[in-house]
Amino acid sequence: MTVLTTLALTTSLVHAQTAWTGGDDLPNNPLACDATAATPAAMPYDGGVPTNPPDRKGKEITVVDVPKLIGIGYFDATSKGIAEAAKEIGTMKATTDGPTKANIDDQITLIDNYITSGVDGILFAANDPVAIAPVLKKALAAGINVVGYDANSEPDARQWFVNQAEFNGIAKSMIDSLAAETGPDASFAIVTSTFTTPNQARWISEMGAYAAKCHPGLKWLETVEAQEDNILSFNQANTLINKYGDDLKGILGMTSVATPAAADAVTQAGKCGSVAVVGLATPNAMKPYVEADCVKSVVLWNPVDLGYAAAYVIRAAADGTLQPGATSVAAGKLGNLSVINGSEILLGAPFVFTKDNIGDFNF
Amino acid sequence: MVEPLPKTSGVRRSTLARFVSGYGQEIVIFCAILILFALVSLINPRFLGANNLTTIFSGNAYIAVAAIGMSMIIITGHIDVSVGALIGVLATISGTLAVAGYPVWVAWLAPVLVGMCINAVVGVLVAYGRIPSIVVTLGMLSILRGGLVSVTGGAWINDLPPEFLLAQQRLLGVPAPVVAMIVLTALAALWMRYTATGRSIYAIGGNAEAARAAGINIERRTVLVFMIHGAFAGLATILFATQLKIIQSTVPPNLELTVITAAVIGGVSILGGTGTVVGATLAAILFSAIGSALIFINVSAYWLRAVIGLLILTTVLIDMARRTNETRSAKR
Repeated sequence: MTVLTTLALTTSLVHAQTAWTGGDDLPNNPLACDATAATPAAMPYDGGVPTNPPDRKGKEITVVDVPKLIGIGYFDATSKGIAEAAKEIGTMKATTDGPTKANIDDQITLIDNYITSGVDGILFAANDPVAIAPVLKKALAAGINVVGYDANSEPDARQWFVNQAEFNGIAKSMIDSLAAETGPDASFAIVTSTFTTPNQARWISEMGAYAAKCHPGLKWLETVEAQEDNILSFNQANTLINKYGDDLKGILGMTSVATPAAADAVTQAGKCGSVAVVGLATPNAMKPYVEADCVKSVVLWNPVDLGYAAAYVIRAAADGTLQPGATSVAAGKLGNLSVINGSEILLGAPFVFTKDNIGDFNF
Repeated sequence: MVEPLPKTSGVRRSTLARFVSGYGQEIVIFCAILILFALVSLINPRFLGANNLTTIFSGNAYIAVAAIGMSMIIITGHIDVSVGALIGVLATISGTLAVAGYPVWVAWLAPVLVGMCINAVVGVLVAYGRIPSIVVTLGMLSILRGGLVSVTGGAWINDLPPEFLLAQQRLLGVPAPVVAMIVLTALAALWMRYTATGRSIYAIGGNAEAARAAGINIERRTVLVFMIHGAFAGLATILFATQLKIIQSTVPPNLELTVITAAVIGGVSILGGTGTVVGATLAAILFSAIGSALIFINVSAYWLRAVIGLLILTTVLIDMARRTNETRSAKR
């Protein structure tokens, strides 16, 4: 019976899946093939507003930072940036407290507890944009300043969202780096966390659009899931190498877990130089592969800067210096950051770590 | 002494029939693996390439090794939901020692010893404290997971010394995780089949009072089984932590469930008393093979979860049916 079940499922589904686009049906907006910067369209403020907040201008505020999860290098780095900014600002106490795994229910419970215990501000990186919205609205209704970073909620559930990089910007960096390493007509595959993770899904969708526009010769073979699991990511990357053999010229890693695992798979398979690995990852995890010349481009923003910017934004929102309709906000050493898409603040263009600069970063 | 695998049917049967009945679930899974390999290789012959076989057999070896200890726990009539968190803690300890410059054998031995110590505490609370194992291990799960993040601050371990990476080694061309999986499964299976202590754990899980009447010190045996399980968790940790150059302080989510699932699909009755470690190892290989097969035949990985869910339900139903039959034939 077990055999029959296995058989029935595996055979009947052979043709069930076509290439998964990772898309969420939102329109894609591929950037220009050259380095022309996109001009963001002006949009009215679409964020939320806290109800009757106390006057916090210049006063000491307590802020809690609730990332998607704690325990990974990436959110370690964002909380480091938040702490750094809070220290600079002086009138802000910031603590980080997130779920131990990327679980939306745990995250909602945590935020709810902080609303009850009383804080002046909440910084968050959402595990689910829709599911997190009610609890954030509850915070706004309690007069708490709410600012997102890394992963957005529905816009009206928070005041501002600090966008580390636009999806189309990341997509351009990834695909341009891949094409530069493999040549214009290479076949590649993607290792992602899950098809439904919002950020990863948008990046993949934008990569498809940008590749079709600017590198039409690239052949996208498939996308595989590996959750946030390094051994599974390693196994999935290996399986792709085994499945496509010499046809596979590149692997794109969509998470900071998948990319080093894919690089290790390529290294252990002795395919360094013949299979390019380009991906989103933290520099510390990628240093061994970059220094061994197995990986040439690691695409990311600086997550320390991201947390740093988010802290300045919530301080400005609490002070009332960042109001709906503003076009930029001062963020300490980062200078002035622009407001885009109504209520988002753009950190800047993605950063590509290479052998030349990766040693300068430690996170 | 106690008969480990009670065959309650009084009818005389051929050796083959007895073998099939004693290892029914293992044979079913073995056949499922063979059929899966045959079918997928028809669609894509590269599935049977040496590299892919390596990926399949070594990919889930750490789960198979952890499932050996888990099988013993479940056969004894208990459960452990903390093994995933335990492996995370042990991996961090092992990696930290390796990076700090201790000899690699210290870094490899530490998770085994620490795993035994932690699980000795669990075993004592279960056996002498009379607290249900699910409660003790749920508590341990929170302590380990929370403690790990508090202590490490969530930082990854980078820069592992190359000689530490045992799981990347090969022995006569066979990847070390595969060798470890086969040797440990065989040792555990022989121990459970042919030693008095090994056989007694079936007696405890089958009927604790009868086992006590037969002179088995149930408390001491239970602590021992938990400690052995801790040792296997430590061995699984070595395979887990030495596969890549990085150790994440977060282990795969739901790792404990994967390990329990491997044991149950492998034929270990969730009610205790029956099952073998061979089945659990085969089940871990089957999961790995299904995962790989889905990629080879272009099926979404979401089906892996659905397929495994179906396998669990099917297995438990078969187990229930078998128990009902045994009770009936015993009454006849």
